[in-house]
Amino acid sequence: MGHHREVSHFKTTRKGIVVSFSPEERSFLGDVLPLLSGIGETGVDPAATRLNVPVYLDDHDASDEWWRLMGQDLRAARTSDRSAFSRAISAEAKALDDEDANAVLRVLNEARLVLGARMGVEIEEDHERLPDDSRQVLDYLGWIQEELTLELSRML
Amino acid sequence: MLAMPTPVIVPDTNEETDIDLPWQVVVWNDPVNTMSYVVYVFRKLFGYDETKATELMLQVHHEGRSIVSDGPREKAEIDCFRLHNHGLWATIEK
Repeated sequence: MGHHREVSHFKTTRKGIVVSFSPEERSFLGDVLPLLSGIGETGVDPAATRLNVPVYLDDHDASDEWWRLMGQDLRAARTSDRSAFSRAISAEAKALDDEDANAVLRVLNEARLVLGARMGVEIEEDHERLPDDSRQVLDYLGWIQEELTLELSRML
Repeated sequence: MLAMPTPVIVPDTNEETDIDLPWQVVVWNDPVNTMSYVVYVFRKLFGYDETKATELMLQVHHEGRSIVSDGPREKAEIDCFRLHNHGLWATIEK
Protein backbone atom coordinates (compact mmCIF):
# COMPACT_ATOMS: atom_id res chain seq x y z
CA MET A 1 0.00 0.00 0.00
CA GLY A 2 1.03 3.60 -0.16
CA HIS A 3 1.85 3.50 -3.84
CA HIS A 4 -1.03 4.74 -5.93
CA ARG A 5 -1.72 2.58 -8.95
CA GLU A 6 -2.91 3.70 -12.33
CA VAL A 7 -5.62 1.05 -12.34
CA SER A 8 -8.56 1.24 -9.95
CA HIS A 9 -9.17 -1.47 -7.36
CA PHE A 10 -12.75 -1.64 -8.65
CA LYS A 11 -13.96 -2.57 -12.09
CA THR A 12 -17.57 -2.80 -13.17
CA THR A 13 -18.34 -5.93 -15.16
CA ARG A 14 -21.53 -7.72 -16.17
CA LYS A 15 -21.24 -9.78 -12.97
CA GLY A 16 -20.91 -6.74 -10.72
CA ILE A 17 -17.98 -4.77 -9.36
CA VAL A 18 -14.81 -6.85 -9.38
CA VAL A 19 -12.44 -6.02 -6.51
CA SER A 20 -8.68 -6.47 -6.76
CA PHE A 21 -6.48 -5.94 -3.72
CA SER A 22 -2.94 -7.17 -3.15
CA PRO A 23 -2.38 -9.53 -0.19
CA GLU A 24 -0.78 -6.62 1.71
CA GLU A 25 -3.83 -4.45 1.07
CA ARG A 26 -6.21 -7.19 2.16
CA SER A 27 -4.24 -7.64 5.35
CA PHE A 28 -4.19 -3.90 6.05
CA LEU A 29 -7.92 -3.52 5.38
CA GLY A 30 -8.64 -6.54 7.58
CA ASP A 31 -6.84 -4.80 10.44
CA VAL A 32 -9.13 -1.78 10.07
CA LEU A 33 -12.30 -3.73 10.89
CA PRO A 34 -11.62 -4.39 14.61
CA LEU A 35 -11.14 -0.64 15.06
CA LEU A 36 -14.72 -0.14 13.90
CA SER A 37 -16.34 -2.91 15.93
CA GLY A 38 -14.55 -1.66 19.04
CA ILE A 39 -16.14 1.77 19.22
CA GLY A 40 -16.36 2.93 22.84
CA GLU A 41 -18.56 5.32 24.77
CA THR A 42 -19.64 8.79 23.69
CA GLY A 43 -17.50 11.35 25.48
CA VAL A 44 -14.68 8.83 25.99
CA ASP A 45 -13.97 7.58 22.46
CA PRO A 46 -13.88 10.54 20.01
CA ALA A 47 -15.15 8.15 17.31
CA ALA A 48 -18.31 7.49 19.31
CA THR A 49 -18.74 11.20 19.96
CA ARG A 50 -18.51 11.83 16.21
CA LEU A 51 -20.91 9.04 15.23
CA ASN A 52 -23.52 9.49 17.98
CA VAL A 53 -24.21 13.20 17.53
CA PRO A 54 -27.48 14.74 18.76
CA VAL A 55 -29.99 14.95 15.91
CA TYR A 56 -32.20 17.63 17.51
CA LEU A 57 -29.75 20.31 18.57
CA ASP A 58 -32.33 22.23 20.60
CA ASP A 59 -34.18 19.27 22.13
CA HIS A 60 -32.22 16.70 24.13
CA ASP A 61 -35.29 14.57 24.87
CA ALA A 62 -36.23 14.31 21.18
CA SER A 63 -32.60 13.46 20.37
CA ASP A 64 -32.49 10.72 22.98
CA GLU A 65 -35.79 9.37 21.65
CA TRP A 66 -34.45 9.31 18.07
CA TRP A 67 -31.37 7.40 19.19
CA ARG A 68 -33.54 5.04 21.25
CA LEU A 69 -35.64 4.29 18.15
CA MET A 70 -32.91 4.33 15.49
CA GLY A 71 -29.68 3.53 17.30
CA GLN A 72 -30.09 -0.21 17.30
CA ASP A 73 -30.97 -0.34 13.58
CA LEU A 74 -28.02 1.89 12.82
CA ARG A 75 -25.62 -0.35 14.72
CA ALA A 76 -27.11 -3.46 13.07
CA ALA A 77 -26.70 -1.87 9.62
CA ARG A 78 -23.07 -1.04 10.40
CA THR A 79 -22.39 -4.59 11.56
CA SER A 80 -23.94 -5.97 8.38
CA ASP A 81 -21.86 -3.55 6.28
CA ARG A 82 -18.70 -4.77 7.98
CA SER A 83 -19.56 -8.38 7.10
CA ALA A 84 -19.93 -7.38 3.45
CA PHE A 85 -16.62 -5.54 3.67
CA SER A 86 -14.95 -8.58 5.20
CA ARG A 87 -16.18 -10.77 2.32
CA ALA A 88 -15.09 -8.18 -0.25
CA ILE A 89 -11.49 -8.09 0.97
CA SER A 90 -11.06 -11.86 1.23
CA ALA A 91 -8.86 -13.58 -1.33
CA GLU A 92 -11.92 -15.46 -2.65
CA ALA A 93 -14.08 -12.34 -3.02
CA LYS A 94 -16.85 -12.53 -5.62
CA ALA A 95 -17.91 -9.57 -7.77
CA LEU A 96 -19.92 -7.15 -5.63
CA ASP A 97 -23.57 -6.48 -6.30
CA ASP A 98 -24.89 -2.96 -5.79
CA GLU A 99 -25.86 -3.54 -2.17
CA ASP A 100 -22.50 -5.00 -1.15
CA ALA A 101 -20.56 -2.35 -3.08
CA ASN A 102 -22.45 0.34 -1.17
CA ALA A 103 -21.75 -1.47 2.10
CA VAL A 104 -18.02 -1.47 1.29
CA LEU A 105 -18.22 2.23 0.48
CA ARG A 106 -19.92 3.01 3.81
CA VAL A 107 -17.29 1.02 5.74
CA LEU A 108 -14.43 2.85 4.00
CA ASN A 109 -16.09 6.13 4.91
CA GLU A 110 -16.77 5.05 8.48
CA ALA A 111 -13.16 3.92 8.85
CA ARG A 112 -11.95 7.38 7.87
CA LEU A 113 -14.47 9.04 10.22
CA VAL A 114 -13.46 6.84 13.14
CA LEU A 115 -9.71 7.10 12.55
CA GLY A 116 -9.95 10.82 11.78
CA ALA A 117 -11.86 11.46 15.02
CA ARG A 118 -9.36 9.45 17.07
CA MET A 119 -6.46 11.27 15.42
CA GLY A 120 -8.05 14.56 16.44
CA VAL A 121 -9.00 15.80 12.97
CA GLU A 122 -11.50 18.57 13.68
CA ILE A 123 -10.92 20.88 10.75
CA GLU A 124 -9.69 20.14 7.23
CA GLU A 125 -6.31 21.74 7.92
CA ASP A 126 -5.68 19.21 10.70
CA HIS A 127 -4.88 16.64 7.97
CA GLU A 128 -1.67 18.50 7.22
CA ARG A 129 -0.62 18.42 10.87
CA LEU A 130 -0.96 14.66 11.24
CA PRO A 131 2.16 12.49 11.54
CA ASP A 132 3.06 10.98 8.15
CA ASP A 133 1.97 7.44 9.01
CA SER A 134 -1.45 8.58 10.26
CA ARG A 135 -2.02 10.75 7.23
CA GLN A 136 -0.98 7.95 4.88
CA VAL A 137 -3.58 5.63 6.41
CA LEU A 138 -6.35 8.21 5.96
CA ASP A 139 -5.14 9.04 2.45
CA TYR A 140 -4.97 5.40 1.41
CA LEU A 141 -8.52 4.71 2.64
CA GLY A 142 -9.68 7.97 1.05
CA TRP A 143 -8.14 6.99 -2.24
CA ILE A 144 -9.88 3.60 -2.33
CA GLN A 145 -13.13 5.24 -1.27
CA GLU A 146 -12.78 7.75 -4.10
CA GLU A 147 -12.31 4.97 -6.65
CA LEU A 148 -15.42 3.15 -5.47
CA THR A 149 -17.47 6.37 -5.27
CA LEU A 150 -16.53 7.05 -8.87
CA GLU A 151 -17.49 3.55 -9.96
CA LEU A 152 -20.86 3.67 -8.16
CA SER A 153 -21.62 7.22 -9.32
CA ARG A 154 -21.45 6.00 -12.91
CA MET A 155 -24.29 3.60 -12.22
CA LEU A 156 -26.69 6.17 -10.76
CA MET B 1 -14.94 20.70 5.94
CA LEU B 2 -15.91 21.96 9.50
CA ALA B 3 -15.56 21.61 13.26
CA MET B 4 -18.61 21.55 15.53
CA PRO B 5 -22.16 22.71 14.82
CA THR B 6 -23.37 25.51 17.05
CA PRO B 7 -26.70 24.78 18.71
CA VAL B 8 -29.57 26.47 16.92
CA ILE B 9 -31.85 28.53 19.15
CA VAL B 10 -35.40 27.92 18.06
CA PRO B 11 -38.05 30.25 19.47
CA ASP B 12 -40.96 28.64 21.28
CA THR B 13 -43.83 27.98 18.92
CA ASN B 14 -47.34 26.89 19.76
CA GLU B 15 -48.86 23.57 18.79
CA GLU B 16 -50.85 24.88 15.81
CA THR B 17 -47.91 26.40 13.95
CA ASP B 18 -45.88 23.27 14.74
CA ILE B 19 -48.24 21.23 12.59
CA ASP B 20 -47.94 23.57 9.62
CA LEU B 21 -44.17 23.85 9.51
CA PRO B 22 -42.31 21.06 7.72
CA TRP B 23 -39.31 19.54 9.44
CA GLN B 24 -35.98 20.13 7.78
CA VAL B 25 -33.01 17.78 7.59
CA VAL B 26 -29.68 19.60 7.79
CA VAL B 27 -26.29 18.19 6.80
CA TRP B 28 -23.28 19.77 8.52
CA ASN B 29 -19.76 20.24 7.30
CA ASP B 30 -17.24 17.65 8.40
CA PRO B 31 -13.44 17.60 8.08
CA VAL B 32 -13.25 14.00 6.88
CA ASN B 33 -16.10 13.31 4.44
CA THR B 34 -15.05 13.92 0.86
CA MET B 35 -16.90 16.10 -1.62
CA SER B 36 -17.46 13.34 -4.17
CA TYR B 37 -18.82 10.98 -1.52
CA VAL B 38 -21.25 13.60 -0.19
CA VAL B 39 -22.49 14.30 -3.74
CA TYR B 40 -22.93 10.57 -4.34
CA VAL B 41 -24.94 10.12 -1.11
CA PHE B 42 -27.24 13.06 -1.91
CA ARG B 43 -27.89 11.65 -5.38
CA LYS B 44 -28.45 8.12 -4.16
CA LEU B 45 -30.66 8.90 -1.16
CA PHE B 46 -32.75 11.73 -2.56
CA GLY B 47 -32.57 11.18 -6.30
CA TYR B 48 -31.09 14.64 -6.93
CA ASP B 49 -29.29 15.13 -10.22
CA GLU B 50 -25.57 15.80 -10.14
CA THR B 51 -26.01 19.58 -10.42
CA LYS B 52 -28.43 19.83 -7.49
CA ALA B 53 -26.40 17.42 -5.34
CA THR B 54 -23.21 19.38 -6.07
CA GLU B 55 -24.93 22.68 -5.16
CA LEU B 56 -26.00 21.26 -1.80
CA MET B 57 -22.55 19.79 -1.14
CA LEU B 58 -20.89 23.13 -1.93
CA GLN B 59 -23.31 24.91 0.40
CA VAL B 60 -22.31 22.50 3.18
CA HIS B 61 -18.65 23.07 2.36
CA HIS B 62 -18.77 26.86 2.20
CA GLU B 63 -21.56 27.77 4.62
CA GLY B 64 -21.13 24.92 7.07
CA ARG B 65 -24.60 23.43 6.57
CA SER B 66 -27.36 22.84 4.06
CA ILE B 67 -30.99 21.75 4.20
CA VAL B 68 -31.12 18.59 2.10
CA SER B 69 -34.71 17.46 2.60
CA ASP B 70 -37.90 18.39 4.41
CA GLY B 71 -41.36 17.08 5.14
CA PRO B 72 -43.39 15.56 7.96
CA ARG B 73 -41.47 14.64 11.10
CA GLU B 74 -41.50 10.89 10.37
CA LYS B 75 -39.94 11.43 6.94
CA ALA B 76 -37.32 13.80 8.37
CA GLU B 77 -36.40 11.23 11.01
CA ILE B 78 -35.99 8.49 8.41
CA ASP B 79 -33.97 10.73 6.08
CA CYS B 80 -31.78 11.60 9.07
CA PHE B 81 -31.31 7.86 9.72
CA ARG B 82 -30.31 7.22 6.09
CA LEU B 83 -27.77 10.05 6.22
CA HIS B 84 -26.30 8.80 9.51
CA ASN B 85 -26.13 5.32 8.02
CA HIS B 86 -23.87 6.83 5.35
CA GLY B 87 -21.73 8.60 7.95
CA LEU B 88 -23.04 12.08 7.24
CA TRP B 89 -23.61 14.51 10.09
CA ALA B 90 -27.35 15.20 9.92
CA THR B 91 -29.73 16.97 12.28
CA ILE B 92 -33.45 17.79 12.27
CA GLU B 93 -35.04 21.18 12.86
CA LYS B 94 -38.08 23.31 12.01
